[in-house]
Amino acid sequence: MDPLTKSLAHFSRRGILKSGALALLPFAIPSEKYAMADQQPMTANGGTDPYPIPSLDKNGSHNQPAGPNLEPSHIYHFKGQVARSSTFTGMGTDNQGNRIAFGSPTTDYGVMQGEYWAARATQQGTFTQI
Amino acid sequence: MPVPEHGLTISPDGSTFTLEMQNVPVVDQPRWPALESIATPASMTFKMVWKTTGEPVKYDDPSRHFRFTGTRATCQLEAQIEVPSIGFSWKSDPLSTSKADFAIMGEEVNGRYYDM
Repeated sequence: MDPLTKSLAHFSRRGILKSGALALLPFAIPSEKYAMADQQPMTANGGTDPYPIPSLDKNGSHNQPAGPNLEPSHIYHFKGQVARSSTFTGMGTDNQGNRIAFGSPTTDYGVMQGEYWAARATQQGTFTQI
Repeated sequence: MPVPEHGLTISPDGSTFTLEMQNVPVVDQPRWPALESIATPASMTFKMVWKTTGEPVKYDDPSRHFRFTGTRATCQLEAQIEVPSIGFSWKSDPLSTSKADFAIMGEEVNGRYYDM
């Protein structure tokens, strides 16, 4: 038996069906291409989450203590209302009846409300850092 | 973190900011900033009120591109903390009994808005 005849002899009905199924794949791919073409083109603009303050995030920190001449906002490319506070003093009670004080220089709060720039567009939002 | 709608109330004259949030997910980390400090999931409900003192404050830093124009303020806080995994809860005394050593409120522009 020559090599060609030997090869043909190994084709079974199941093998032909498999080959037939695989042969259809190239015809399926163009329809996928058409489906993608129907989608609107997308630009990688990033998310709408606010930018961190560049001078703060070099060490992975998006916060600094509130204080004189320190930036009050926690987000960059921002325009709006802002409030900051730190170093609280107060008292409270736990569920065992123990009186526990709160407050330290790191008890630092902030709130921002207004316009910010993200995803190459102006956004509106209110954010807090607690 | 984002503040839910109506979480922040600003009085019409801008003299009082009131921030209220319920069941905010936080971590209880008593030994922070120690490297091995354990963080336990917790939740916090709080109300915080800033009131202007009227004393003007202006910060303008061209190198860091920010400008703040506002006033000094008082700030008071009342809060409630729950740490379910250890069965701990804590509630502060009323708002009027707390104080903050430093508080400011006003308007800020930074980044791309600084030069506009």
